Amino acid sequence: MNGWNGKILEIDLTKQTHKESPLDIEMAKQFIGGRGLGARLLWDLVGPDVDPLSPENVLIFTNGPLTATGYQTSNRFSVTTKSPLTGTVLDANSGGYWGMQFKKTGYDVLIVRGKAEKPVWIEIKNSEVTFHDASELWGMRVFALTEKLGQNNNKRNVLCIGPAGENLSRIAAIMNDRERAAARGGPGAVMGSKNLKAIVVEGSTRPEIMDKERYKFLMYETKKLLAASPLTSQALPEFGTVVLMNIMNNIGALATRNHQQTQFEGAEAISGEELTEKYLVKNQSCWACPIGCTRISKTEKVEGEGPEFESTWAFGAQCGIDDLPAIIEVNALCNDLGLDTISAGSTIACAMELSEKGYLDSDLRFGRADQLAPTVEAMAYRRDIGTELADGSLRLATKYGHPELSMTAKGMEMPAYDPRGLQGQGLLYATSNRGGCHMRGNMIGLEVLGLPKLIDRFQVQGKSAFVILNQNSNAAIDSLVICKFTNMGVADEYFARVLGAVTGIPYATGELIKVGERVWNLERLYNNREGFTSKNDSLPPRLLTEAPTDGPSKGWVSQLEPMLKEYYRTRGWDENGVPTPKKLAELGLENLL
Amino acid sequence: MPTVKLFANLRKVAGTKEVSVTGASVGAVVSELVKQYPALVANLLEHSPDALSGNGQICPHVIITINGHPTDDVNAPVTESDVVSIFPPMAGG
Amino acid sequence: MIDPRIYEMFREIGEDLFTAQLISSHGGNLSIRLGDRVIIKRRGAQLGRLKPHDLIETRLDKNDSNVVLASTELLVHRAIYLNTPALAVCHCHPRTAVAFSFSRDELVPIDNEASYLLKKIPVVTEEFASGTPQMANKVAEALKNYKIIMLRGHGSFATGQTLDEAFHWSTCLEESCQMELAAKIINEPFIEYRGMSGSYSQF
Repeated sequence: MNGWNGKILEIDLTKQTHKESPLDIEMAKQFIGGRGLGARLLWDLVGPDVDPLSPENVLIFTNGPLTATGYQTSNRFSVTTKSPLTGTVLDANSGGYWGMQFKKTGYDVLIVRGKAEKPVWIEIKNSEVTFHDASELWGMRVFALTEKLGQNNNKRNVLCIGPAGENLSRIAAIMNDRERAAARGGPGAVMGSKNLKAIVVEGSTRPEIMDKERYKFLMYETKKLLAASPLTSQALPEFGTVVLMNIMNNIGALATRNHQQTQFEGAEAISGEELTEKYLVKNQSCWACPIGCTRISKTEKVEGEGPEFESTWAFGAQCGIDDLPAIIEVNALCNDLGLDTISAGSTIACAMELSEKGYLDSDLRFGRADQLAPTVEAMAYRRDIGTELADGSLRLATKYGHPELSMTAKGMEMPAYDPRGLQGQGLLYATSNRGGCHMRGNMIGLEVLGLPKLIDRFQVQGKSAFVILNQNSNAAIDSLVICKFTNMGVADEYFARVLGAVTGIPYATGELIKVGERVWNLERLYNNREGFTSKNDSLPPRLLTEAPTDGPSKGWVSQLEPMLKEYYRTRGWDENGVPTPKKLAELGLENLL
Repeated sequence: MPTVKLFANLRKVAGTKEVSVTGASVGAVVSELVKQYPALVANLLEHSPDALSGNGQICPHVIITINGHPTDDVNAPVTESDVVSIFPPMAGG
Repeated sequence: MIDPRIYEMFREIGEDLFTAQLISSHGGNLSIRLGDRVIIKRRGAQLGRLKPHDLIETRLDKNDSNVVLASTELLVHRAIYLNTPALAVCHCHPRTAVAFSFSRDELVPIDNEASYLLKKIPVVTEEFASGTPQMANKVAEALKNYKIIMLRGHGSFATGQTLDEAFHWSTCLEESCQMELAAKIINEPFIEYRGMSGSYSQF
């Protein structure tokens, strides 16, 4: 077999057993790997009767046919589960080295079921699987644990949870290679609920490549394209993702103080320019990545990866805080505790607004940088005020009678881009299958950065087609699995051809995007089976009714309703957002229902 | 005169964050800017020999906003009180 | 009501296509996909001189009352949208590229930019005229895997996320063919300047 290893490893934590089964190659052709394959397996394994934090939920780790081949950014993996935060299908994906090493053990998929009686960690050395007692390790933080279990970038890689996952925080991340995170939607809590502390992988199998000559040519072309694109050769390496802070603020689309404003007066102080000038130590990259967007930054107290744009925004503008060192430190703390930074920051912002309005009895206030670290610490350990915040902003705001103050879509905290200033982005959040997320698709390229061409950010007519293409393309890329940043310099047609060269199965560019569409529709079917309807394709009322009173987005609210109607029609769904039998037949999904 | 704000590496190259330059359109403002800060030519304009005569094309992916509204039209009018912000190619998320 | 920003996009690129001599006075076509709809040039309208009423909006999946007004090439544009991820289509008659299409089954650019952007442009043959289902299917099928293709003796079809992209591929193709023609006239042995250039024809 080429590209794929052809093997699934299933681990039952209740019985402490493991077995190997073959990968269904027809399924693999249809869903490729990563997110797509994960969603397809989850469809069969976890139905609506399963509580996300019960032993019946599963964790599905997947790589893809390109993983570990050495193709640019082929280092990633995906973890699929039913989300304890949103109740939707969830996949979170992460870079670094672990995904590559996992592929080298000889497996494409690892399914973890059940619940261990006592804390365990698992070691997978090629096909040898060992269960280890983790009683002594339970309670350890991520950095110390990663070191203790022998992290060695190219040889032995550690994936684990921190205290947040152990304490079943619904916004807990799964961490790998110390500071990379499969963060969103609470997969760390699922791992914690299974008493699984860590998975360590060591492998020596390299994936087979069908057409080596063609593969070599495509790698060479990709290298040239990434070097020629000012985005992948200059913008990302020089300033990292935080470079977006100033421009989002400039156009009035930087959500501020729990989305009460769309511009932050302190944006400059937490910008990529400021980070680079005062705190940047060096760049770093994931395995086989020539881009190197990762920052290593340093303050008096910490030195580590990040912070990324979204994390800097979540603890910065969203909390009304312009203290960059405090943000760098709380970002590192989240990594060590194993918490999703976007959800953690936005939940604190929600608590700040609830407190300022007198709905929540706490001293949390916008602008208080000194409150960040103690609050995050309390969240991971479910202590004091942290008990209230550990499960995200929607549960918090609902408990105190004001769910409308939770800046979430389907229960997941939205990232930095305010939909009032970016109409297409709002449609993306509302329709995203895992909740408010910018990784299921991103309209910033078209609506702000002019990639490939600027289209008016306030235009509503016709936006759905762009959003859908973006969502389908991202679902395909997440299934390969490679990094979305490569797509800024390299078009989808290269990925389709690389996939063909590696697996020996020809994929036309259109077919690769079709895989993405299939994945998207399958995820939609999953959510519908869980009871989600078109009512859940929504945004917080604030974004639909409260227009900013100043700045470039002044007077605008999200025009979600007309965009959503057009979106359903364009997707080939009925007016209730249900995929039609015709669409399902076209995608080969008709037999699932 | 319109205010021009520079971002990211453009600040390093020009040695300033903010400057006032004359010009009644985006194109005119950029031409004037590179006259005052010739080092910016390589960052902002293609076909740099033409740049100083005002015929240089603005590099693809350079992002320009007028009072916070992105534009890709070099003829877009600019008034005395406008703020023109110029960003080098950027990406992220 | 078609958004004036959309009209402006059509007008600019239509005018550019004519100025660049990529179409005759009444030739060529542009369209975009707007959700489940297509916006396309009115039958008989001149691309180089588009007026707002020259754009027709019609359904993608079936006919409505506007369909009689739309360009006869609607069929092929629809087939492209239904079979590929394209959101915009640019069809023109780049003369040098058409000239090469008479004798070649694929165009493999030798210049830098087109090697870089296009790699290879397949040439498809269809004896049925423009606007027939046979031609529509053949063009759409080829565009599943290439962002620009040539119809032998007729012209190019290019796709993109925006009209601007599709227009870019079209001008890039014609420029490349003109360079190759000039090189043929110069008729001196080439000094290869690209790495792995032999692989382009397999793209």
